[in-house]
Amino acid sequence: MNKRRILEHVKKYAVTYLFIFLSVFFIIVSGMDIHYVASQLILRLNRNAFIVLALIIPIIAGMGINFAITIGAMAAQIGLLLTISWGISGVGGILLAAFITLVLGSLFGFLIGKLLNKMKGQETIGSMILGYFANGAYQLLFLFIFGSIIPLSDKVTIVGATGVQNTLNLTGSVGLYKAVDGILQVPFLTAFYVLAALTVCFSFYQYLRKRTTLPRMAVMVGFLAVLIVLTLVPGIRSIFDKTPAHNAIRIPVVTWMLIGLLCLYNTTIMRTKLGQQFRAVGQSQTVANASGINVDRTRIIAIMMSTVLAGWGQIMFMQSDGIGTFQTYAAHEQVGLYAGAAILVGGASIDRATNFQALIGTFLFHSLFITAQSAASNLFGDSAVGEYFRAFLSYGVIAVALVIYAWRGTQKNKIGMVDLSEKAKS
Amino acid sequence: MSEKEKDRKSGSSRRVAGCVLCGIAALLLIASFAGNLLSSSESSRSSLKELRTQAVLHAASDGLVESFAAQARSEKLKELRADKNFRKRGLDEVNAICDGAAQEARTKAQALYANPKVEDRSGLEKSIEDLEGTLKNYNVLRNAEREAYSALYVELVDNVGDWTELTGEAGEDDEALFSLLARQCPALEKAENAHLKASFVSLARDMSAAEQVKKDAEILSQLKSAMAGSVSDWNALAGMDADALWEALCAQEDMLRGNERFRTEILAAAQEHIQAAANGETVEEAQADEGADTVYGTQTNFDYFKGTEKLSQLDENNESAYAVLWGELVSVIPDLDGLSDKLKSGMRDTIEGIVYPGDDSFETLYNTYTANVSSVQGSSFVMRLSASAKKLMLLGIALMILGAVMVFWNRLTRLFGVPRTIISVFFIYLNLAAVLYNISVPMMLGDILVRMGMYGILVLAMMPGIQCGIGLNMGMTIGCIAGLLGVVMSLQLNMMGFGGLMFAVIFGVLVALPLGWAYSKLLNRMKGSEMTISTYVGFSFVALMCIGWMMLPFNNPKIIWLLSGHGLRVTHSLLNNYAHVLDDFLTFRIFGVQVPTGLLMFFLACCLLVWLFSRSKTGIAMTAVGSNPRFAEASGISVNRMRTIGTVLSTVIAAVGIVIYSQAFGYAQLYNAPRQLGFIAASAILIGGATVRKAKVGHVIFGVFLFEGVLVLGQQIANAAVAGGGLSEVMRIMISNGIILYALTQSGGASRE
Repeated sequence: MNKRRILEHVKKYAVTYLFIFLSVFFIIVSGMDIHYVASQLILRLNRNAFIVLALIIPIIAGMGINFAITIGAMAAQIGLLLTISWGISGVGGILLAAFITLVLGSLFGFLIGKLLNKMKGQETIGSMILGYFANGAYQLLFLFIFGSIIPLSDKVTIVGATGVQNTLNLTGSVGLYKAVDGILQVPFLTAFYVLAALTVCFSFYQYLRKRTTLPRMAVMVGFLAVLIVLTLVPGIRSIFDKTPAHNAIRIPVVTWMLIGLLCLYNTTIMRTKLGQQFRAVGQSQTVANASGINVDRTRIIAIMMSTVLAGWGQIMFMQSDGIGTFQTYAAHEQVGLYAGAAILVGGASIDRATNFQALIGTFLFHSLFITAQSAASNLFGDSAVGEYFRAFLSYGVIAVALVIYAWRGTQKNKIGMVDLSEKAKS
Repeated sequence: MSEKEKDRKSGSSRRVAGCVLCGIAALLLIASFAGNLLSSSESSRSSLKELRTQAVLHAASDGLVESFAAQARSEKLKELRADKNFRKRGLDEVNAICDGAAQEARTKAQALYANPKVEDRSGLEKSIEDLEGTLKNYNVLRNAEREAYSALYVELVDNVGDWTELTGEAGEDDEALFSLLARQCPALEKAENAHLKASFVSLARDMSAAEQVKKDAEILSQLKSAMAGSVSDWNALAGMDADALWEALCAQEDMLRGNERFRTEILAAAQEHIQAAANGETVEEAQADEGADTVYGTQTNFDYFKGTEKLSQLDENNESAYAVLWGELVSVIPDLDGLSDKLKSGMRDTIEGIVYPGDDSFETLYNTYTANVSSVQGSSFVMRLSASAKKLMLLGIALMILGAVMVFWNRLTRLFGVPRTIISVFFIYLNLAAVLYNISVPMMLGDILVRMGMYGILVLAMMPGIQCGIGLNMGMTIGCIAGLLGVVMSLQLNMMGFGGLMFAVIFGVLVALPLGWAYSKLLNRMKGSEMTISTYVGFSFVALMCIGWMMLPFNNPKIIWLLSGHGLRVTHSLLNNYAHVLDDFLTFRIFGVQVPTGLLMFFLACCLLVWLFSRSKTGIAMTAVGSNPRFAEASGISVNRMRTIGTVLSTVIAAVGIVIYSQAFGYAQLYNAPRQLGFIAASAILIGGATVRKAKVGHVIFGVFLFEGVLVLGQQIANAAVAGGGLSEVMRIMISNGIILYALTQSGGASRE
């Protein structure tokens, strides 16, 4: 029994294990400085975690990977553009952009939901093509409507021609660069110790309220203790700490608080009535319908939430450390692809996903992303191969996940059919 | 019941609105007809002549007035400069003062010269008439010569694959170079083209120089990326002087040695890397431009054009006729003689533009004249009506169609479906707009025909997929890659002409067969979500083959990266192999339309074959599986077998399609280029009227015509109407994806479960 469970577990998370193996292999082969990899990874987690987490609700509601989050990203970019054009900087600018995203994202989400309700069972491809279609509308808006029909300040438009500039700077007087990331930054290790202490307190509290057993708590505390001891080893400590060669890795506290809040939101909403409806609709629309749930409405709400959250995620991405510019016409293009691939790498499937999977997926996907180029150049003597390998990974992991899901589905159907035919015989 | 009533109610109001529109359209058409009649009447002709004389006189006096204004302006500026306070004044203020002075001078001069009195107009009118005659002769000959030049230019540029090779072979010897050129384009040696000899020689030299620059840039970018790949630690290189840095770089990357001529650029790039490394960043490598040139056909560059003796003679006639006219003008306004030579020649251009605007239509003449007259007098309403006859007619037709569509909406949508009706009407409107913008329709029709042949077979590849029940086969890119392998293989073996093309097709098909078979096995296991899967399997395969193109052991120096010595290039020119061989087979010109006979025949033959197949026993069984798999299974047809046949067929046709596409395009594009082909093909067949369950050959032909027609027309009109490109691309994205979305909503995914 136990053996079987392990086997099942490995089967379920085959992609994740493959990626763990690949990441370790690539980090070794690339010969990159481990501090550099770690700092890049943390940077990329700051940027991307929010968007990936935005994919969870529609997955649970049975709508597959919502590639239409690109449209949320577009809403966010419209918000950012208006903010820059009106010259509002800092946290205020971010809040304004977030508000515009909320309004536009809800509207777009409503329309996406309406459309996806007309193509049930084909949401994944439908949302992807919808993203492409919306890209056309976005180009139309930015090339021909902004700056002529909708007047904008010449900070963002091209003087003497129609349309918005190709690249907008977020640094300097625009003041949106690191507007959230830069509020409060603490060294990684400090943040880690604080978090560990909080976790210990929390699990002790749980134990006192009899929500967890003593062995469980012991395992948790022991695990954390081992990690803390590990960080005290000089070799490991020097990865994160300040050394003559590099600065300490720092964590943007507010960004991580927001990511944490979103995780909390994703879990708590599942305990509400709405969350139960999401789950019911995701498991079987027929049953949900029979039990009096308005299936179409529930699905629309799920997509609206996802769209707005993805928009906010895009704002977090844009303002984050190391970006600094806003590629007006291209910033949204790969959002859906990378986020979808990341969550699938974490072990999510087309109908199941958790916060943990999203975070671990982002971590693994981006660790490959960072190292692929130098690894390929070391392996094959050509860095371009690494670039293509990254693209292959993104598409390939989505294809594999889709194939596994569809295959399981047909197998289930077959079993169901066999059952029926046997029943018919008897 | 009530809904039906509502429907009928809205239907009736829609029909009434449609009838009203038709009525308005009819009125417009009548007005346009009247305008046309009036425009040829004697009185409007003569008043047009009168307008012309006025326009010429006005142009002359206006030029004079403006020269005074400019003079006053510059004098004022000089005066201000002499002033001590000049620097304190802002630029705007100085401008305002100068403008004021100019305006003052202008008013004064206008009072003197505007509306010059002419006692005897006959001399002036006659000289204008003469000038018009000589200008017309000159322009007719000039256009004919330019056309001949353009034909030569296009033939030469299309035939020559590598300019550097030619100049390298000929050296400095112009005669030798010319005979080499004549070998590529025999028409050059004809006696009537002798005057162009020097032009084409210098063209060849410039082309070869430009190509050399391009090649160098390619080498440089490869060197840079090789360097970025080889150097592991940039920090170690910081602070070196140029020579030491160069040595250190060469030691780490052998390729740099022997490329001393790029030293400065490489060193600059290295400094950038070092800078970035010091800041803890990496330099993002510039993305290689992946075959961005989507220009179909060669654009003629007229910089090298030279006229014949006869043309320069006619030009001299112009000169003398203009001299006569100038004399007449000076006799009317004596002060004209005092103008500077520069102003005189500028005025000559204006006046010649008025006398012969290059077009005989009433509209052009009227618009040119009125634009140059201060106030229009005379029978202006009739004139204006005549001048806008064409616009009124187009507007009338457009409204008429809109009205008719509104009246017959239900019937049309039942026959064609909503999107096809809308796109067809859009296509007709684009045609009207083409007439409005004076876009040459025959040339565009030729373009549409070429692109039909180009994309037709790729669209045809969608058909077996739909028929056998896998829906829109987005994974047809697998077949495309097989076909591209065939093309690359034929290039590797330096194959040319029809033999090369046939080899590429056959090789592609042979690769496509096993790939298609494996792909069909995969799809057979996942019934119900084929479109999603096939899209991502196609994408992954394209990405995988990107690595493949880099790693496959091709070694013909013409197709691999120049420096690294391995890996295929992104874009391969087929000009020296078999570009356009099908297009040019039995090609002919009719009504100015160049018909790519061979290409269209090949496309239609493929359509015929697929049609015959769908009529065969297997084909009928396959269609049955596609339209109703349960029924097919019940009647003893093996669903999986039929799906396999359909998928393999689709993959194979895609392989043939991409080879034909490449030969018509003139280039084979590898790497990410085939990724979107599935979407283009899918949208074309859907526009043609197919659904995700049913498709016919007719849908393919009609769809590819309508889709490409809208794209070609849209591109031209968008370029003519809106400055700056991009609109046509936006249109393509929205039409193409919009129609797929529509098909998805119609397929009713839920009903499948």
